[in-house]
Amino acid sequence: MSGLRMSRLRMTGDRWGDVATYLLLGVLGVFFALPFAWLLSLAVRTPAEVYLGAARFIPQAPTLDNFALILSDPAFLTYLWNGLKLSAAGATLAVLLAIPAAYAASRLDFKGKNAILVGILAVQMISPLVILVPLYRWMVALDLLNRDLSVIAVYGALGMPLAVWLLKVTFDAIPKDLEEAAAIDGASRLTTLLRITLPLARPGIASAFILAMVTNWSQFLIPFILLERDGDWPISVAIFNFAGSTSASTTQVLAAACIVAVLPAVAVFVALQRMIVSALVVGAVKG
Amino acid sequence: MTAASPARHSRGPAPADGHPLPWLVPAVAVLALFYAIPVLDVFRLAFSDASLLAPATRVTTDAVRGTLTDPALLSVLGTTAVFTGITVAALQLMGLAIALVIIRGEDRGLPGMAAFRTLVLAAWVVPGIANGLVWGMLFDEAPYGTLNSLLGSVGIGPVAWLSDPQMAMVSAMIANLWQGTAFSMIVFYAGRKGIDPVLYEVAELDAATPWQTFRYITLPLLRRLIAVNTILIAVQTLNTFDSILALTGGGPGRATEVLALFTFNTVFYNLDLAGGSVLALLLFGISMVLALVVLRGMGRERAAA
Repeated sequence: MSGLRMSRLRMTGDRWGDVATYLLLGVLGVFFALPFAWLLSLAVRTPAEVYLGAARFIPQAPTLDNFALILSDPAFLTYLWNGLKLSAAGATLAVLLAIPAAYAASRLDFKGKNAILVGILAVQMISPLVILVPLYRWMVALDLLNRDLSVIAVYGALGMPLAVWLLKVTFDAIPKDLEEAAAIDGASRLTTLLRITLPLARPGIASAFILAMVTNWSQFLIPFILLERDGDWPISVAIFNFAGSTSASTTQVLAAACIVAVLPAVAVFVALQRMIVSALVVGAVKG
Repeated sequence: MTAASPARHSRGPAPADGHPLPWLVPAVAVLALFYAIPVLDVFRLAFSDASLLAPATRVTTDAVRGTLTDPALLSVLGTTAVFTGITVAALQLMGLAIALVIIRGEDRGLPGMAAFRTLVLAAWVVPGIANGLVWGMLFDEAPYGTLNSLLGSVGIGPVAWLSDPQMAMVSAMIANLWQGTAFSMIVFYAGRKGIDPVLYEVAELDAATPWQTFRYITLPLLRRLIAVNTILIAVQTLNTFDSILALTGGGPGRATEVLALFTFNTVFYNLDLAGGSVLALLLFGISMVLALVVLRGMGRERAAA
């Protein structure tokens, strides 16, 4: 076979490969986009158009009434605020706890380091479902039931293992020479960490924070058990209750409520996904 | 850079000395307080007669015996095995396929790869309850439900997505696949990126077909990652209940009631704390066995490295 023919063969092969690539991604794209598209389509329909099904995928009389109905309900705004508050505070706690542990894992040599790291990671294998009953009783005993602090503390414990792992990889990538130079100048380890290591680790810290926050935003079980008062619920619990209530008997309103519940996490994640994915990729390769 | 020079030692903290305890205490303490203590308590509760309405009064194995001999448990375990097994296999295949196709597209400079990746990731961050509600609308069996009205327009159906026991199981798996694929995609994307590009250049020089390249380079080098990922996903899938709760509630009958949902229902609908704790232990036991398999695998990997 001549070189020319070989390369032409490969070229057509590559072309067909490109076609196959787009075909596969096209089919999967429909699968992944359909729920979002349908949700959006339903949320802007009038009740009459809901009954037209797929034939009215793009409504003739789109309306924002459903969103207005949801967002004019003060309870819904409270749920959103509760969700934001609990997720952000829980993620902050997780990262604050993870920073010193990850620093020790990255910079210190000590006996049993691997065992401790593996132990911390193993916690992640235990679902909150396993501890739901004792957790409730334990929070009663600590007098934390129905307080935000209970949910925040559990979020901190739950989100910390992944944060430790991501931050250890981040710290590993920061040259030790910089810290050593500061140490020669007499800076303590804590000062070095705060002044030099942490500012350099900003992308890793941000990724760990966002991942923890998005996980918390989705949490259903923990706030469902630990917060009994309607007014304390985050959106993830409220939406479940709302779906079972009479006010959600109309599909288009439920669709609008779902969008309101889903959008903040999706928007943040989509905006920052490049940073988060690269942190996860580095973490997966090094870990 | 593990060994610092003595001169540096005398001036300030060298890289590898210093006591680890103060650094580790906050993390370990919170983990112990809000996670380890409750885990220990599960064992105690499982051997008690506690309910949501009454505290434990005595130590007994009644709950263990009652729960383990409950005829419902067997069908729940069967459902769990089917749901977990098929979902895990599908998640792996889909995640691997998407990761490899995206990387191929990136290498060829095809546009749209980042957009597709973003789309898959967007599904990942949808809360489980919302996932169940959204797919509930798609699977709506009324003539105006998404899938049935789509199928109806080409003359198929209607399909009993949620009211037929077997279809309900398939529907629950589809909803879970939609949400869970992103995790496998990232894992395999990272793994494939970690493979030395020289290997692929050599394969190209040898005029290897895409299948041969996949079969003899990509697959063997990803094998360990596939093993680890299988267990991670299996544990995640095993503990999934919120999307099923919102989609089918476990029905029709018990057709989609997996162990995780059964545990939730035992506590919140039957108010049976002791029984729920026995089930939680069972869930914990299965997860731990799977976790140990991973840790052993990772330990072997360390030793080999």
